[in-house]
Amino acid sequence: MKHSRMVNILFVAPCVFAFLMIIIIPFLFGLYYSMTDWNGVNNAVKFVGLKNFKDLFSKPDFLYSFLITIEYTVINIALVNIVSFSLSLIVTSGLRRRNFYRAGFFVPYLIGGIVLGYIWQFILNNILVDIGKTLSIEALRVSFLSLPNTVIWTMSVVNTWQYAGYIMLIYVAAIQSIPASLMEAASVDGANFFTRIFRILIPMMANAFTISLFLTLTTSFKQFDMNLTLTNGGPATRFLDTPVKASQLLAMNIFNTATANQMAEAQAKAVVLFVVLLVVSLLQVSASKKKEVEM
Amino acid sequence: MRKTLITAMTIGLMVLAIPAAVFSSGTKEAPKTATVNMFQLKVEIKDALDAYAAQYSAAHPGVTVKVETLGGGADYGGALKAKAQAGRMPDIFMIEGRGGYNIWKDYIADLSSEPWAKDTDLAFKVDGKVMGFPVAIEGYGLAYNADILKKAGIDPATLTTRSAYENAFKVLEAKKAELGIDAPVAMAASVAGGMWWVAAQHNLAVYWGGGLDFNDTSIIDMALKGKLDDARFLQYAKYLQLLFKYADKKILLNGSYDDQVGSFAQGKTAFLHQGNWVDPNLKQLGVTFKMGYAPHAFLDTPEKGLFLFAPSWYCVNSKSPNAEAAKAFLNSIASTPEGHDYMVNKAGMIPAFKSVKLQPAGQLSRALMEANARGGNYGVFFGMLPDGAGQNVFGPIFDLFAQNPDNIDQFISDMKKAVANLPNMK
Repeated sequence: MKHSRMVNILFVAPCVFAFLMIIIIPFLFGLYYSMTDWNGVNNAVKFVGLKNFKDLFSKPDFLYSFLITIEYTVINIALVNIVSFSLSLIVTSGLRRRNFYRAGFFVPYLIGGIVLGYIWQFILNNILVDIGKTLSIEALRVSFLSLPNTVIWTMSVVNTWQYAGYIMLIYVAAIQSIPASLMEAASVDGANFFTRIFRILIPMMANAFTISLFLTLTTSFKQFDMNLTLTNGGPATRFLDTPVKASQLLAMNIFNTATANQMAEAQAKAVVLFVVLLVVSLLQVSASKKKEVEM
Repeated sequence: MRKTLITAMTIGLMVLAIPAAVFSSGTKEAPKTATVNMFQLKVEIKDALDAYAAQYSAAHPGVTVKVETLGGGADYGGALKAKAQAGRMPDIFMIEGRGGYNIWKDYIADLSSEPWAKDTDLAFKVDGKVMGFPVAIEGYGLAYNADILKKAGIDPATLTTRSAYENAFKVLEAKKAELGIDAPVAMAASVAGGMWWVAAQHNLAVYWGGGLDFNDTSIIDMALKGKLDDARFLQYAKYLQLLFKYADKKILLNGSYDDQVGSFAQGKTAFLHQGNWVDPNLKQLGVTFKMGYAPHAFLDTPEKGLFLFAPSWYCVNSKSPNAEAAKAFLNSIASTPEGHDYMVNKAGMIPAFKSVKLQPAGQLSRALMEANARGGNYGVFFGMLPDGAGQNVFGPIFDLFAQNPDNIDQFISDMKKAVANLPNMK
């Protein structure tokens, strides 16, 4: 049967329609509203050009959120990928009950971010503090969530606990697709464990790193649910001589601006987030792609 | 084959189009019957209100009141915006202050001529016109555990100045082991625990309205123009410092609402910085001790009043064809025995209407109602602040001060800076 243009269009139409209505049009509206003074309800919307964007960069809370989001992303990419790569090495090493471990490491990913945040908040604020009190361990007496300088690290650890299992599966699949003969040949030639990993395994699975880095980068940048329930932005800290919320990542900053009925300003922040995320992830993907090898 | 496919797709599209056509033309209402759609955010009174709406609908043929509830942390404002954008603006909706009024003012009907408007001090007024129906009275002072204070030899009636509080806290701190308490005060200020509102909204309201006439907004008017009353603010900061210093540190810096109320309910703290809305929580926790409210006396001169306010108001949608039916429904709550029964006995609220004679069950609510009858109370004006000022600006400042209560100068200069910026935040 010959393809006809009409049939093609008809088949694609529902998807294009949905994509237009749900992604493209709201996106364009968003761009438009970021250049207005809209408060979310008022129909008399005034166009103010780039004023919202200019104002953003004089707001300490936004600048701070921006910086710690970058910091959080860097910490998170490193932690999640190191942990999940190590896990994937462990569960592909011919360990007994490896399927059980694979499932076990993956389970935290199935817990939603909201629930997970509350669970870890309880562990960090109550259980660890009580253990610290009972055993007189000074370092545990104060909740890790109330230390403004390290709260990002705590969030990152919790995120790693959740996300590492998922990334691990990607690495496991990549490791299993490498022919066993390659690894055997290397060990016959006398390459030790680390040489085999760094000279053969990692170059051969570079495409898995591309996708894993991309996933961790984008999810860390957009982190919201766990942020809301685990720390709610707290505790407070000082930045540019203004008290700000020490763990309020960019997405939460946008949310708090929007719920304070500053819709246009929140929209401008969202556009900034989008542009930065787009640029950074394109750079990352193109850089990682160069490292990939053809099998 | 191709033809069949195209025919199938065309038929498919037509089938899809039929329901759309049906639904778009099927919403016309029959004349003479009115459906009043109410959209409200107080989750705790949902069942009582649903029952009252059903009772009202049954007693008034031709009128159906439908109540939809969304709140308790859900985004009521966002949902209301979505409804407005979709052309389904409810007939009765709620605002929580000036910020909400400014957003929705095009939709808010003037209720000045309603019979209940003269029966209350707490209606939402703009330029002398009544725009909102007060849902209830809420209020707070510093709640105390009468048993603990008695054991410690403190008479709550003497707590009318800041120095009286300082002495009382010192006594309690010294007798901590004997009384079995962790700290004198259960106070919360943490951004992390979502408790910024206790400190940065309710406690700060002490500065805005404490010791002034009930409707005196001079201090907050000044703040909205960007200025603090330095002498008054210094006294307030010292009072807040006192509360922070004698508070349970874990609750102060990290605690949630449950931690704070739970500690008071278990007799681990002698004072609780919360309003009468904790009555149901305390009942649930099986509290049997006697309690009452002492004033937030932050000045050197004696203060005796509590802080009373309407937390939210019902507004009638002025663009709705059912506005009259909606007004009649609100009027029935304020002026019929069934309405009074619903407010006090079913929903457990303190009505804002003077003609209501029923007594609420909770000890703190009763203390508040007595204070209301006695008079000399203070107004709560944080609703006049721009949206987000409490949560995003004052919240972190109070959190930081709670982390280091000795640094009072830093707190004052931070607040000065934040207030100076208020006029720029629409």
